Amino acid sequence: MAAESALKFEALEAQATALLEIFRRAGYEQVAPSIIQPADIFLDQIGESIRSRTYVFTDLAGDELCLRPDLTVPVSRLYLERHPSADRPARYCYNGPAFRFQPDRRNQAHPREFRQAGIECFGEMDREGADVEIVLLAVEAVRSAGLKKFRLRFGDIALFYALLDALSLPERWRLKLSHYFWRPPVFHALLARLASGERPNGDGPVMALADRLAGLPSERAEELVGAYLEGNDLPLSGNRSLSEITARLLDHAADLRADPLPREVATVIDYYLAVSGPPQEAANRVAMIAKGAGIDLGPALYALVRRFERLEASGIDLSAGTFATEFGRDLEYYSGLVFQIEAGGERDADQIAGGGRYDGLLCHIGAPREVPAIGSAIHTERLLAAVERGS
Amino acid sequence: MAADLSIAVPSKGRLKDEASELFERAGIGLRKSGHERFYRGALDGLDGVEVVYFSAAEIVHQLKAGRVHLGVTGEDLIRETLGDVDGSVEFLRPLGFGRADVVVAVPDCWIDVDSMADLEDVAAQFARAHGRRLRVATKYMNLTRRFFAGHGVTGYRIVESAGATEATPAAGTAELIVDITTTGTTLRANHLKVLEDGLILKSQAHLFASRATSWDISAIKLRDAILTRLKP
Repeated sequence: MAAESALKFEALEAQATALLEIFRRAGYEQVAPSIIQPADIFLDQIGESIRSRTYVFTDLAGDELCLRPDLTVPVSRLYLERHPSADRPARYCYNGPAFRFQPDRRNQAHPREFRQAGIECFGEMDREGADVEIVLLAVEAVRSAGLKKFRLRFGDIALFYALLDALSLPERWRLKLSHYFWRPPVFHALLARLASGERPNGDGPVMALADRLAGLPSERAEELVGAYLEGNDLPLSGNRSLSEITARLLDHAADLRADPLPREVATVIDYYLAVSGPPQEAANRVAMIAKGAGIDLGPALYALVRRFERLEASGIDLSAGTFATEFGRDLEYYSGLVFQIEAGGERDADQIAGGGRYDGLLCHIGAPREVPAIGSAIHTERLLAAVERGS
Repeated sequence: MAADLSIAVPSKGRLKDEASELFERAGIGLRKSGHERFYRGALDGLDGVEVVYFSAAEIVHQLKAGRVHLGVTGEDLIRETLGDVDGSVEFLRPLGFGRADVVVAVPDCWIDVDSMADLEDVAAQFARAHGRRLRVATKYMNLTRRFFAGHGVTGYRIVESAGATEATPAAGTAELIVDITTTGTTLRANHLKVLEDGLILKSQAHLFASRATSWDISAIKLRDAILTRLKP
């Protein structure tokens, strides 16, 4: 175990001071959220994939706590603590440690104790403006630290949801596909299954019950399911209600009778998720796919294109950048534009900074209304290493 | 270590009794020596072997750290505890006792759920309806994570359970469990059912060798002697 938390302490401190100065000048108030956080919020929002890399512990009072694995959730909590009704915009910046277990042994680029310098913007109703502002500020920050060669990578979660909304799909499949968007290997298997028209296994008493439910109003269906549970000595437990169990059986029943997902629809989704290239070109490609499918991606696509235009107008060269429809599928709280600043070669690209829009998160941690939110964090150790390598 | 080879044996419960019987039958009975409170002993008729008694869970750590040459413990504990199983221990011999299946079990009223794939669908539905993830009660956190990840199930969180795991769904502190079962009676009594593809591990006690300790000629000879005697 390293005896020192940060190698190159002085260089990192100097870099952080300069980054924070840029953020503060841009109107971001410096905050210092707690390092020790309640584990609940992280586990409920981010799930086990992060837990397996989070230092979780129980204190003497029996509370389950963690060392923060990132700063977005802690800063969001801080915003809600200061503004419980979440009714005003706020811009915060920070620099401090975050902690993640590194299963494949630690190395310089992936220490288990690392620092993040970042910005978060809450409650700004002009989403387009805030998106552009955050990307520009993140780029300005890494540039001023001395990073010369880097690439921008973008994704847009909202555009995928717009695609699903525009396609003609039964609601139960739309929900399923949007859920499995975050699990790419399962997603493709699911899409193939829906398109092949494979039906659920039609045997057994439960499927017979589902068959009887088909087309019934949900109250009547619930009565039947309730009677079935009672008759078979299956008392309700495990916190799922009768209506939840019934709803899934009704979906089964609908799937038993459903026509397969039209091959064209599956193809449109596949084509869409294969799009990757320079941002403007990729956006045009998405527009062509939509046109070919006879659907209108409307405001979502227009919004994306306008963001790219405004970034270019502000002097960002996007020609070396990438927009990939698949990008951003690993952190479930993202809801819109996501981006990453990378340095190094194509193959061994180092993620220097990342960020994105997460409009749903604050509601989940207690805000009384949806709060537009977007932020970005810089891995300062990696930034310093890249600058020293001369990137 | 004064002895040429050390072997860790469970210090309590069914595993201890079954291990004692096993060595007894093999003609190398466990003999407690000297000060019994030090939890040390020897093997009858096999000089140079030191027997040390630990809990089954602690034996895993002793093997990993290389503080013993051999150890008798459950495969479930080995796979749960060690990050690098094959790099840490060698499976020398399954011992035919301590059998237990580690399984995923859900309330039997979930008639819409048969498989792990159903579980991920339910996780999505549950998050929409309740604003939180499904909770899985277990003491097998790592086995659970790996198995769920392998099945593409991610919409859950683990709540650690030290005991009476099977009662947590009825108590409302978890929605489902990962636990060991031998006959399934306890699960059924608690209105739980095992998912069709929910068998995580068929576990039993094994004799393990540590890869983290030094194996000189005399240790290897004693290991082979024990293995020969233990031949079924």
